[in-house]
Amino acid sequence: MLQASYFDGRSTRVRAVSLSVAGEDLVIAGEGIDFRVPFADVKVDERLGLAPRSLRFKDGAFCEVRDLDGLDALLRSTAHRDGRVDRLQRNLRFVLFSCVACVAIAIAAYRWGLPWAAGEGAKHLPPVIGKTLSVQTLKILDGAILAPSKIDQERQQALSAKFQSLRLQEGGTPKSALLFRRSPQLGANAFTLPDGTIIVLDDLVTAMGDDQLILAVLAHELGHVHGRHGLQLLLRSSAVGAFWTFYIGDISSLLAAAPAAVVEAKYSQQLERQADDYGAALLLHNGLSPGLLADALQKLTESHPGASKAGFLSTHPSTDERMRRLRGPWAAGPASSSMR
Amino acid sequence: MENISGGESPTRISSARAPEALSFTGKGGEYFGIWIVNLLLTIVTLGIYSAWAKVRRLQYFYRHTQLAGSSFDFHGSPIKILIGRVIALVMLVCYNFSVRLQSSMTLVILLIVALVMPWLLRNSFRFRLYNTSWRGTRFHFRGGVAGSYRVFLLNGFLTLITLYVMAPFAHQRLKAYQHDNSYFGRTQFSFHARAGQFYRVYLLLLAAIVAFIVLMGVAGVGGAFSTMFQIQRQGGRVDPTLLIRTVLILYGAFILMAVSIGPTFRALITNLIWNNTRLGEHRIECNLSPLILIWISVSNFVLVALTLGLFMPWASVRLVRYEIESMRLVPASDLQEFEAAEPESLGAVGEETATVFDFDISL
Repeated sequence: MLQASYFDGRSTRVRAVSLSVAGEDLVIAGEGIDFRVPFADVKVDERLGLAPRSLRFKDGAFCEVRDLDGLDALLRSTAHRDGRVDRLQRNLRFVLFSCVACVAIAIAAYRWGLPWAAGEGAKHLPPVIGKTLSVQTLKILDGAILAPSKIDQERQQALSAKFQSLRLQEGGTPKSALLFRRSPQLGANAFTLPDGTIIVLDDLVTAMGDDQLILAVLAHELGHVHGRHGLQLLLRSSAVGAFWTFYIGDISSLLAAAPAAVVEAKYSQQLERQADDYGAALLLHNGLSPGLLADALQKLTESHPGASKAGFLSTHPSTDERMRRLRGPWAAGPASSSMR
Repeated sequence: MENISGGESPTRISSARAPEALSFTGKGGEYFGIWIVNLLLTIVTLGIYSAWAKVRRLQYFYRHTQLAGSSFDFHGSPIKILIGRVIALVMLVCYNFSVRLQSSMTLVILLIVALVMPWLLRNSFRFRLYNTSWRGTRFHFRGGVAGSYRVFLLNGFLTLITLYVMAPFAHQRLKAYQHDNSYFGRTQFSFHARAGQFYRVYLLLLAAIVAFIVLMGVAGVGGAFSTMFQIQRQGGRVDPTLLIRTVLILYGAFILMAVSIGPTFRALITNLIWNNTRLGEHRIECNLSPLILIWISVSNFVLVALTLGLFMPWASVRLVRYEIESMRLVPASDLQEFEAAEPESLGAVGEETATVFDFDISL
């Protein structure tokens, strides 16, 4: 005998009944109620935690059962079997497996899926978007941390001319525009906007001194342009932001905005190495030594004394390791090996 | 939870006029198993299973929600939800493309979306309510299409052109449209909050934001001045701790604002809405505390972030438990006198669309 509450589906009246199985039938008995239905016509709810489970009849009436173990015992004497997913939800092993699988999938999606999708997306995004983004970004930066360059026009033009005369491996010369700016906050630095425009800061020009070293840094930046790294990072951070907004959205939509801000637009180590490789190969292609890029890195390290990790260096992998890479195989052998 | 959640007396009949608190008996650990298994199935089926997962999620929460010893239930069909999701996805993609790639089609697509949305949202209310039941009696939504166009399209437009001055008014009209047209069986809900009361909550929120901005401004200007004085006094040398302190105050004020405004608004507006909603003669009381809601939101957020999302089931259960258990029904007579209305069949399109476009459709 199993205790249950009977509802007729037409009123909210609760009636206490007891359930039992007789042959192929379910017997429902209580005050003013006494009937039996073939068990094949009864729909049994899934077990969802300790929530009450209902046995539903064809006319809309149902019995709500709270004694879940009692119900399981009653169901065992019938032909009823719980659904597969219903059983998996209660199977501790499968729950643990799901947990591991979901975390693994999430990590794989973040490590490989996201960079791949961002790379593909950056390749296929119409150029107009990169252009618009760059114009906006530059406008914001010009108002905030960038000031007009103090390097005289002649020197600017000379540097631009040298840069434009670099021969690219994929043919032609750089299409990127060079813009000169000054920024006390960012120090010796150069960076690339989504449309490929390269911004060179005054401190970089003074710190390098030698034009060949500046060209080496620009070759590295051309690697970012070539791989559309700026757009890739933008796509990555907006995808992560959108995901978190969607995921945490139900907790509080305002809080959900925070992770998007936390996910900084950092050049990942992988992208830096790609840019280094591209830059080194470009230098070799133009008859210059890839070691120049290593020398430039060294000078940058020296121009950022002590623990100061401003600008160019903070977002980049360990400078020592990069210099070793650039001076190692590159200095000796041909450029073919590590273009990835 | 000292009330009926014990469950030894499922047939307990409410005595008239004694307030009946809603209770929630779900547990995070218990929900975790259901959640993670359905999540995995959703991923493996590339999202198709999400419709079934959603039905389970709603059933888990509804069936653990109890009033006067009986639980609520959800009856929506996964197939209908799936169809709704597909339509919602198509609309979302159309919308995104038309906004990104501005062309002559942009206006046409936006117009179509604007014309279809009110109808879909009204259907979403119908689907959600029709598939909700308590003691075997279904809820219903009987709002007309005309009303939905007025509430979403006309009031939305008014809100935009008045630069959100009309937003509290539009919110009040939306809630009136939802609640005045809702039924439990044949008993109608009614909504009594006035637009003025909505304005009061919105203005309070605005005042809080202004106060935070003033605080940040004072801290910023104060920090800048004391830095300048220091530079003068010490001949160009700046004490870095002073700068750091200013930045920390600014940052702290910003975090405090981001973290407290949302839950506070939610608590105040939810209280206002439910305390002014009646079911027939019966009153409803809602007593959410902004401070507790802030605490739950912040701690949930931190724990979800730290556990790479795995805390989510506990977070949902905590929040839902607090929100449900702060509500009470104050009956004017015996609850059993409700009679069921005739059933009607509906599609799920509207409801799913509303979820994807992220409108507040919570009743």
